[in-house]
Amino acid sequence: MDATDPIIEMRNARVTYDDGETFVLDDVSMAVERNEVVGVVGESGSGKSMFASAMLDAIPDPGRLSGEILYHKDDGTTIDVLELSPEELRKFRWEEVAMVFQGAMSSFNPTMKVGGHFEETLKAHDADVIEGMARAEELLADLYLDPERVLDSYPHELSGGMQQRALIALSLVLEPNVLVMDEPTAALDLLMQRSILMLLQELQEKYDLTMVFITHDLPLVAALADRMAVMYAFDLIEVAPRDQLIGDSGHPYTRALLNSTPNLDAPLEEMRAIEGQSPAPINVPSGCSYAPRCPLATEECREVDPEFYETGVGHSTACHHWERARETIDLNFEAVEDDAVGADTEDHA
Amino acid sequence: MSQTHDTADRRRQDEEPLVSLEDVEVHFEKNQGLFDFFEEPEVVRAVDGISLDIEENDVLALVGESGCGKSTLGKTSIGLQRPTAGTVRYRGQDVWAAKDGRGDVDIPFDEIRSSLQIIHQDPGSSLNPNQRIVDILAQPIKLTHPDVGPTERRERIYSLLERVGMNPAADFADRYPHQLSGGEQQRVALARALLMNPDLILADEAISALDVSLRVEMMDLMLDLQEDFDTSFVFISHDLSNARYFAEHGNGRIGVMYLGELVEVGRAEQLIEDPGHPYTNVLRWATPDLALHADGASEPPMRKIDIPDPVDPPSGCRFHTRCPEAREACREACPALEGETGAHRTACFRNQPDHEYWDSAPLED
Repeated sequence: MDATDPIIEMRNARVTYDDGETFVLDDVSMAVERNEVVGVVGESGSGKSMFASAMLDAIPDPGRLSGEILYHKDDGTTIDVLELSPEELRKFRWEEVAMVFQGAMSSFNPTMKVGGHFEETLKAHDADVIEGMARAEELLADLYLDPERVLDSYPHELSGGMQQRALIALSLVLEPNVLVMDEPTAALDLLMQRSILMLLQELQEKYDLTMVFITHDLPLVAALADRMAVMYAFDLIEVAPRDQLIGDSGHPYTRALLNSTPNLDAPLEEMRAIEGQSPAPINVPSGCSYAPRCPLATEECREVDPEFYETGVGHSTACHHWERARETIDLNFEAVEDDAVGADTEDHA
Repeated sequence: MSQTHDTADRRRQDEEPLVSLEDVEVHFEKNQGLFDFFEEPEVVRAVDGISLDIEENDVLALVGESGCGKSTLGKTSIGLQRPTAGTVRYRGQDVWAAKDGRGDVDIPFDEIRSSLQIIHQDPGSSLNPNQRIVDILAQPIKLTHPDVGPTERRERIYSLLERVGMNPAADFADRYPHQLSGGEQQRVALARALLMNPDLILADEAISALDVSLRVEMMDLMLDLQEDFDTSFVFISHDLSNARYFAEHGNGRIGVMYLGELVEVGRAEQLIEDPGHPYTNVLRWATPDLALHADGASEPPMRKIDIPDPVDPPSGCRFHTRCPEAREACREACPALEGETGAHRTACFRNQPDHEYWDSAPLED
C-alpha cells in the first residue's frame, strides 16, 4: 500500500519516565491510513498501551511524550496534537479520535444509567441531544443491543459483553473518524470477543471508520486488521499488510509469536513457546532488543540496532537477518490460502 | 493418599473412578435488593443435572461462555462447592457425607480436600502478598510432612521451583509475589498445589490471564508435571484452541457446557473434527485461525449474540433461542446426552435420525 492518505502520523514518538531515564516508547514512527484497520500486537509490557495513548496525547502522569503526532482532518487541514490546548484536546479526543479501553465497568459511572452517559457526553460537547440520542440508538442497534433496554439500565445490570458494546457505541456517538481501542475485549470470553470483532467490522464499513486495535492476541486481531504492526520492547519491529505478516513475516520474533499461538489447525507437536523474557524498560539491551532471545542473533545484532528494511510491498522489518529468518524459521501452521478459506466457509454453511 | 486403609478398602477404592459426579445440581439464590424482600428469590441454575466421571491420570477440559457454569462444575468436582442436589464421590466416598459425618466415612473430608487442589485465574490474589515465595511453599509441606526439618524443606522447595521452570530457585525463593510476573506467579501457585500431592488439580482459567505467547509454555508445564506427579486435571477455559491443546496432549476429553448443562463430551480430536452439537460449532467459529485471505470476521453460526439469563433458562433445549438449526421440537423437549459413558456423547436431536425434530417447523425470529 502506498502511503497516500494518512489520517494520523506519529513521528519519533518517545515516552519517558523518571526524567528521561526510563523509556516506555522508543522513537516510534507510524502512519495510519484513512479508513484502514491497523492491528497492533505486543506482549504485556511491550509498550503497546503507550502507543495507543500517545496517539491521543493521553500518557498518564508523570510520563512525558515527545515527538510529533499529526492528525489530518477530512477538510485537508492538519492538527498538531501535541500543540492543542487542554480544551481543544478534550474535543479532539471525542470528536475526531475516540478511545475505548479494556474493562467497561471502570469507564462507566456505576450510579448513572447508560442513557445518562450518552446525554452527558453530548451536552459536554455542545451537541444536539435529541439528534445525538437518535444516533446512540442506532449505534446500539448496530451492536446487536436493544437500545431502549440498554439506555434505561445501570451498567451493572448488563453483562460484560453488553457493557463493552455499549461503551463502543458511546465512543462513537460524537461521530469521530478514528477509533483507538486498547485491549477492548480482553476481559470477555472468546465467543463474545469474536462477536465484537465481527460487529466492529460492520461498524467500520457502515461509518467509514479508521481503527487502531491494540492487543496481545495476534490471531484475534488478524480477523479484523488490514495491516498489522508488531511491538517488542517499546518499539515497532515489523509492519505489514495482514496476509504478509502472517504468511511471510521477516522478523524472528513475529515468526516465534505466530508459532506460539494455539490454533485449531496447527499440528500440536510444533507449537512452541518463545524462550526467554522481554526486557524491562530500564535495561533494554543495546543493538537489537530481541537479540538475547533470537536464534539468529550475530555480533552485528548486538551492536547495531536494526533500522526498518523494506521486505515486501508495504512491509517493513527491523531485522538484519530477515531473509535468513524467512528461510530458516518455519511457520508451523498451514498458511495455505484457498484451502483455509474453503474450510472456513464450509463450516458456516 | 492415606495409609490408614486396609488392602480390601484400597482395592475397592481403586476400582472406583477418582471423582464421580451423579446428577449434580448447583442452584444459587440471587442476592435480593431491599425492596424485593417479599418476592420469591431468583434462582440461578449454575449447574443442572450433570453426571461425569474423572479417572486417575485423566484430563478433562471444560469449555463454554462466561456464565455457562463451567467454573461452578469444576469447583463442585473438587469438593469446594456443595451441590444442591446429586452426589459427588471421591474414590467411592460421598464427599459431602464425609464432610457432615453421615454414614460410614471411609475417607475423611480433610484427606479428600487435600487430594483435590485448585489453581485460579488470578494467581496474584491467591498468593499471600505479605509472604515470601519460600514461606508460601513451606506451608503445604508443614501440613503434609510435619516431620521434615527446615533444611530439607528448603531443598524440596528449591528443587520444585526449578522443576516449574523458575531458575535459579534461590533468586525467586526470597521474593514476594508482587515481584514476580503473572506467569511466574502462576508457576508458584502450581507448585503450591503440587506440594499437597493431589490426585486432581482444577485449573480454573489458569492461563487465561497470561499473554497468548506464554500460554503454551504453561500448558506444557502442567502436562509434564501431570506425568511426573500422577495427577489428573480438570482444565477450564473459554478458548477451544487451548482446551484442545491441553486435552489432546493429555490424551483426554473436552466437555462443552451451555447454561448449566453438558451438551457434548468426547475425545478432544474427535470433538474438534466432528462436532456433534451446533453450539460446539459456534465455539469453533469463535476460535481464531491464521488462514490467509480470510474474508474478515464471518457471521457466527448462531441467531443471537447474547447468552440468555441463567435465572430463566429457555425451555426445551436451552440453546434453541440461538441455535441456527433449531426447530419447534427443540422448544418443547430437552435432548439428553446420548451415548455410552466414555464415548463421544451429544445432547442434540439432530443426532437421532428418526426423531420428530426432523418433521417439525424451523424456528425463526
